[in-house]
Amino acid sequence: MVTIDLSSLSVREANDALRAAAARGEDIDVINPDARHHIGVGLVHPVTVRVHGSAGYFCAGLSHGARFEVESNVGWGVGDSLYAGTVVVGGNAGAIAGVALRGGEVVVKGNVGSRAGQVMKDGTLLCCGNASFLAGYMMYGGRIIILGDSGERVGEDMSAGAIYVGGRVQSLGSDAKVETPSPDEEADVKAFLARHGIAFDGSFTKVVNAGTKLRYGVSEPIGRPQPHTVFSEGASYWNAKVVEDIRAKSLIGRYRIRGYGASKAVPHFSDIAIKVDPARVGAAGDPLAAVTLATTLGDRFGAAPLRLSMPVMIAPMSYGALSKSTKIALARASRLSDIVENTGEGGMLPEERAEARQLIYQCLSGRLGWNIHDMLKADALEIYISQGAKPGLGGQLMAKKVTRELAAIRGIPEGIDLRSPSRHPDIMGADDLVIKIEEFREATGYAKPISVKMGAGRVRDDIKIAYKDGFDFVQLDGMQGSTGAASTEVLENMGIPTLAALQEALDGLAEIDHKGDMPIVLMGGIKDGVDAVKALALGASAVAMGTAALIAGGCISCMQCHVGNCVVGIATQDPEHEARYKTEVQAQAMHRFFEAVRWQIAALTQALGHTDVRQLSRADLVALTPEAAAITGLPFDPAYRAVHEQLQSQVA
Amino acid sequence: MCGIAGLLFKTPTANHVLGHALATMLDGCQHRGPDSTGFALYETPAEGLRLRFLVEENDQAALARIRKALAEQGATLKSERREGASVVVEVAHAGEIRPFAYAMEHAAKLVSIGAALDIIKDVGTARDLDDIYNVSAIQGSHGLGHVRLATESEVKPEAAHPFWATGFADIAIVHNGQITNYWKMRRRLEARDFEFRTDNDSELIAVYLADKLAQGTPLETALAQSVDDLDGTFSFLVSTRDGIGFAKDRLAAKPMVMYEDDSLVAIASEEVSLNRLFPGQPLSTTEPAPGTYRTWSRSI
Repeated sequence: MVTIDLSSLSVREANDALRAAAARGEDIDVINPDARHHIGVGLVHPVTVRVHGSAGYFCAGLSHGARFEVESNVGWGVGDSLYAGTVVVGGNAGAIAGVALRGGEVVVKGNVGSRAGQVMKDGTLLCCGNASFLAGYMMYGGRIIILGDSGERVGEDMSAGAIYVGGRVQSLGSDAKVETPSPDEEADVKAFLARHGIAFDGSFTKVVNAGTKLRYGVSEPIGRPQPHTVFSEGASYWNAKVVEDIRAKSLIGRYRIRGYGASKAVPHFSDIAIKVDPARVGAAGDPLAAVTLATTLGDRFGAAPLRLSMPVMIAPMSYGALSKSTKIALARASRLSDIVENTGEGGMLPEERAEARQLIYQCLSGRLGWNIHDMLKADALEIYISQGAKPGLGGQLMAKKVTRELAAIRGIPEGIDLRSPSRHPDIMGADDLVIKIEEFREATGYAKPISVKMGAGRVRDDIKIAYKDGFDFVQLDGMQGSTGAASTEVLENMGIPTLAALQEALDGLAEIDHKGDMPIVLMGGIKDGVDAVKALALGASAVAMGTAALIAGGCISCMQCHVGNCVVGIATQDPEHEARYKTEVQAQAMHRFFEAVRWQIAALTQALGHTDVRQLSRADLVALTPEAAAITGLPFDPAYRAVHEQLQSQVA
Repeated sequence: MCGIAGLLFKTPTANHVLGHALATMLDGCQHRGPDSTGFALYETPAEGLRLRFLVEENDQAALARIRKALAEQGATLKSERREGASVVVEVAHAGEIRPFAYAMEHAAKLVSIGAALDIIKDVGTARDLDDIYNVSAIQGSHGLGHVRLATESEVKPEAAHPFWATGFADIAIVHNGQITNYWKMRRRLEARDFEFRTDNDSELIAVYLADKLAQGTPLETALAQSVDDLDGTFSFLVSTRDGIGFAKDRLAAKPMVMYEDDSLVAIASEEVSLNRLFPGQPLSTTEPAPGTYRTWSRSI
């Protein structure tokens, strides 16, 4: 047995000692905890940890298999993302007790704060006292037992699972209803209480999903839509795309859903020219040998950085939106071109991990497939706050794609129209975010870069928060960024263009005197190496490509990604459709595309007279339109249009 | 986005280790707000009024404006000293506070006016402020503290909390959260001649409460109404000459924990701040329910 005294150790030192002791199989006593955060996070050995006093946020979070006994109270998020194990709290718990539980048992002898069991998937959360507002909010499975009163709006938007209330059900949440538990269920609950030595003589009311919001009522008509390259706003505002949209809505009576990103004319990289003599491109010999492209990202706080062979990576796209074969091909292409792949929402595939040399693991609001084991396998961790296609909203995955296998990885019921929450359970503001980032660092020994994925909303403010909260780098996604499913209104109208997003980010960092101190990876409509060079010259450290990679790998841009019947086997979970996708063929195709991008970046950098992509600067660019000049502050010089057009035909 | 702290000693004397205790509580939750820190401290009420202004080093013009405005308002200057980013003046003044306060605000950046209240706020951490302003040495009966992480407004001393309820001596607030009907509420108050000095949504709470109190609404009632009137996420603390109070939104999105015994009431964003007052000792704490409010008065 080991005693760890938090009056003389930092939490980081204490967690190191805790993990070392647990690895030796020793039980641990933590004394003088004084409500400090992150006690025991990331513990993966079956030992007992006794906390003699109160613990702060995320006690026992991201642990697997240990038993925690906390004598007094705990703060927010006790047992966060627990896969197995037991946590017993002698006093009260703060908000989101048992958040994202994937298994195991969390027992709170006192009261629990608001949103207990939010997005939990399995396991049992027991509250012996009263619960607060929104208990069981958006839970996907598992069991909550409340011996006292339920709090207001219990079971709000739960998809599955059950909430047993011993006291009064104060009010039901949206899409929740009351049932009488079966004798077997009640006996099971009482057996659980008996096992934890808790006496309770009353009976239970059971709260479950009412089933009114799990599926969209009316399907969209299936037809061949106007192509993605036809813009909804352009020379004419009453055009074929607008007419198609009105007709579809007249049939379904709600917003439409589709894949891909904004297809309307906004200022973009095509409105910027590179000040280069096209005759010089490729004229000075082999640009790949002459220009340094290698880029590292993520060592702002001493983590082992990502190492990219060029300032390009693959944008986050989920297993779910995409088929497993496509995720494997993307991972393979990333290895072949020595860049970085990203899991997107919905968990890490073992095959994807094996194929990718470097892999970013994304954590989203629903905590779908998020666990300590894959965190430890990842090369970097990423907190998704929002994305360019639908800033401020959660993800959508239609029922056709929520297969048994996919549901199992994510820990959700099979066959529902999955809507992930629009915000994280434990990130209600910049202050909570600081504590969340530290939880991840504590759980993984401060070894991995932690990035933030940010959609382009109020970038100027958000980039400052990202800097101050301590992210290693930012993945910034403009409104042209694509998605597997979102409403057309949101796709077309929310957020700000990629170009404006980058400029706001750069200006925001400059305003707090930290220009260049936190790398920005830009995405959202980056289609080739020419766009990449412009982004780098404006001040991005790298770019990420999603749509371009998929098109290189066989996507036909039909925008029906959400339907699940992708004819080329990319955006589908249907085995027959997926069988059409040739993983090795498409991995090689994407690899060749990335090599073309590499050549473009190197050739343009060389033609500009530089030997390193980091020498690219705003002096290498001019704006071709007044709008692009106004957004970026670049000089407006339409005389470069001829040069621009010649360069495009020569390089792009 | 922030951490908040409130402390009230119940026994009548005002010579408790107030400054030290609040600085320690804020040091415990500094991770919630590294940009700036502030205190509202209630000391033994003085004869006259204490005014604290934010004045840049060597800004003689501001000092001249302050002296001129004081004279115009019929206030007698008793003392003047510089402390950190601020200048403290003590005056004798009889008459209505609000016109006096507005006149002084037009002269320089006014932080607080009070017989008992002193607001100390600046860019930096609780330890930084303690070094500059010697907060730990300040004795008093009750007070508030705040650490700030700027999200939408700027990092400068005047955007730090606490905010003084302009026009009302000895009333201050600290806030954690975001008021989403800020502009609507602000326009309504501006229409009734209330003035705003920052774009910080927390200033709105101070002015809102000031407006209620001006109409003779008891503090507890004003807090009850604030839960209905303010939209968004908030946990805020208010302090008056005699006590402290809190209000919490119905969404329960921002944390707040409290501890009470026979001698004191302590409220903070996180238990870790409360535990700083009682190291090594598990505390019996409670989390206020969503949509609730409460006040405490010290026995006088």
